Amino acid sequence: MTIYTLMKRKLLILTLTVSAILLGCSGDKESKPTPIQGGDNTAKTVTVGLLPKIKGIAYFSSCAEGAREAAAELGNIELIYDGPTDGDPKKQAEMIESWTVDGVDVIAVSPNAPDVVANAMKEAMAEGVQVITWDADAAADTRSYFVNQATAQSIGEGMVNVMIDDLGPDTEGDVVIISSDATSANQNSWIDVMKPAIENSNLNLATIKYPGENASQALADSQDVIKKYPNLIGLFGISSVSFPGAAEAVEQTGHSGKVLVTGLSTPNDMKKFVHSGTVRSVVLWNTVDLGYLTIYVAEALATGKFEKGATTFTAGRLGEKEIVGDNVLLGDILVFTKDNIDNYDF
Amino acid sequence: MTIRERLRKFRWWHELGLVILIISLLVAAGTLMPRFLDIKSQLLLSRHIWEMAILALGMTLIIITGGIDLSVGAAMGLCAVAFGMTFQYTGSLALSCVAAMLTGGLGGAVNGVLISKIKVHPLIVTLATYAAFRGIAEGLSQGVSYSQFGEAFSQIARGKWFGVPIPAYLFLALAVGFAVFLSKTPTGRFLYAIGHNERAARFSGIRVDRIKFWLYATSGMLAGLATVIYISRFNTAKADAGTGFELDVITAVVVGGTSIFGGRGNIAGTVLGLLLIHETRLFVGRYWQVDELKSIIIGALLIASILLYRILSPKKGRE
Repeated sequence: MTIYTLMKRKLLILTLTVSAILLGCSGDKESKPTPIQGGDNTAKTVTVGLLPKIKGIAYFSSCAEGAREAAAELGNIELIYDGPTDGDPKKQAEMIESWTVDGVDVIAVSPNAPDVVANAMKEAMAEGVQVITWDADAAADTRSYFVNQATAQSIGEGMVNVMIDDLGPDTEGDVVIISSDATSANQNSWIDVMKPAIENSNLNLATIKYPGENASQALADSQDVIKKYPNLIGLFGISSVSFPGAAEAVEQTGHSGKVLVTGLSTPNDMKKFVHSGTVRSVVLWNTVDLGYLTIYVAEALATGKFEKGATTFTAGRLGEKEIVGDNVLLGDILVFTKDNIDNYDF
Repeated sequence: MTIRERLRKFRWWHELGLVILIISLLVAAGTLMPRFLDIKSQLLLSRHIWEMAILALGMTLIIITGGIDLSVGAAMGLCAVAFGMTFQYTGSLALSCVAAMLTGGLGGAVNGVLISKIKVHPLIVTLATYAAFRGIAEGLSQGVSYSQFGEAFSQIARGKWFGVPIPAYLFLALAVGFAVFLSKTPTGRFLYAIGHNERAARFSGIRVDRIKFWLYATSGMLAGLATVIYISRFNTAKADAGTGFELDVITAVVVGGTSIFGGRGNIAGTVLGLLLIHETRLFVGRYWQVDELKSIIIGALLIASILLYRILSPKKGRE
């Protein structure tokens, strides 16, 4: 066999294989969302891109569950749920750009770093995409509405209050906040509320740590502060990553019972710590409802049902929800304790 | 010359294979998702690759000499912090850009000195600076991110001239420059000699150390340049800039047919490798909308390209 025919045959086989693989992978995907361009009839499908900070963590998975429920109820929704698996805000920006190009009708973003995604969001709006934020807000000129799970006031005060209640109102000592990224808008707005609330109590805020959305870093930072502050009596883990990290650190260093941990996370992540007593209260909102409400708002905006200036919004099984300015409010916080945490599964 | 001899002399089997792969991908993607081939959106989304593309040029030269630079991504973090701090203290964007490039060049020069003077293997040196650069960047900035560089600065990465993104012109100019250097200048040819047999190159009077020093310094400067575009694109300068870029860049170069053992490769292959990776990633992201699939597919591509090399390269060209 000459080299010529050998090469030719190999090249041919290779080409065929590659094409077959490419086509084979996707043969059964005929029902992909094909956003409809133009055409303003009411029966049109609304494609919604729901972008979490991180994909694959319990918190956002439970939001997605609510979103899918709403999409199924409404019937005209093509829901895309995707986000960076590592929480990189730059990947969020790139996803917004891809969705914009692909003609998605609504993009709902939970920005991990509002500055990073701002340009992509503005570009999407300029292309006629309805851009809203949910779970975390961005600059007002980069989105039309924010689906707000609970006000910073209620969350920040809620966390400090359960800490004081659980420790006993007269207890004195140091507390530390384990936050997320230093740029996380949510966490920063809660810290702004928590600081004065802690000052007005018998507690003393020793420091604030920023481990990012990184479980091992949260664990390491918590271990550091447990070592560094002998009078430490409480840790606030104010993200769904730092809260279990802080609780784990307290248990590993044998400080369970001496250092109380509270904060914000999903019930499933915290159940074992609540049952072991390291954690007594977990503060959160109903995340399933948050995803649900977001999709209802998205659909209403895309179909023109959303009235500008309205003060209430009706969202399926949730009923009437309050609108304050450009915030659609989900409602109050939810506190999980030993008594009720097993009733929730997300 | 017979056809057989001519085919044996044909040096572009790998590039041809890549072109066929890219075309099959585009055909498949266009069939499944017609709007994928829309040229306007392709140009717009091309902004996801320019920083990596610029880094890949320097990396190609380094890998041809049998070296490697694992520190390029971390160097971007350092450059980003230099940029942000300079902006904070001076308020001048021009100075900040200069600071980023100088920092990159300096970081690259450190690699260069350690590799060429102290004769430590590039893998070890750049593994060390990979950790060190990122660490210094995080230490200096304390995790702060610098932002608000203004709308005009965003236009470096997001703006267009005649419908084509501005970084594309920059990359094109650099790619042509690097390709000419590599194939037409004596120093460029020496890189292959070094990659094939460094001792022999030394004995032939090639100034191996000097060439190596400048290669790593250039790679650092390119990291500085890439950082400026990166910061412009995201309007943010932070120590985590370019995280994980080194692996993507090396993948693009190797998929492009540059031998990881040195002595073989060219800029055209790297450009094709970048294109293949970029289009694959875009297609996977836009069609399946599953972020984690991207890295799996890139890994599969790397393996496929090594197989491609095995199948298509003439026997005598193999290492």
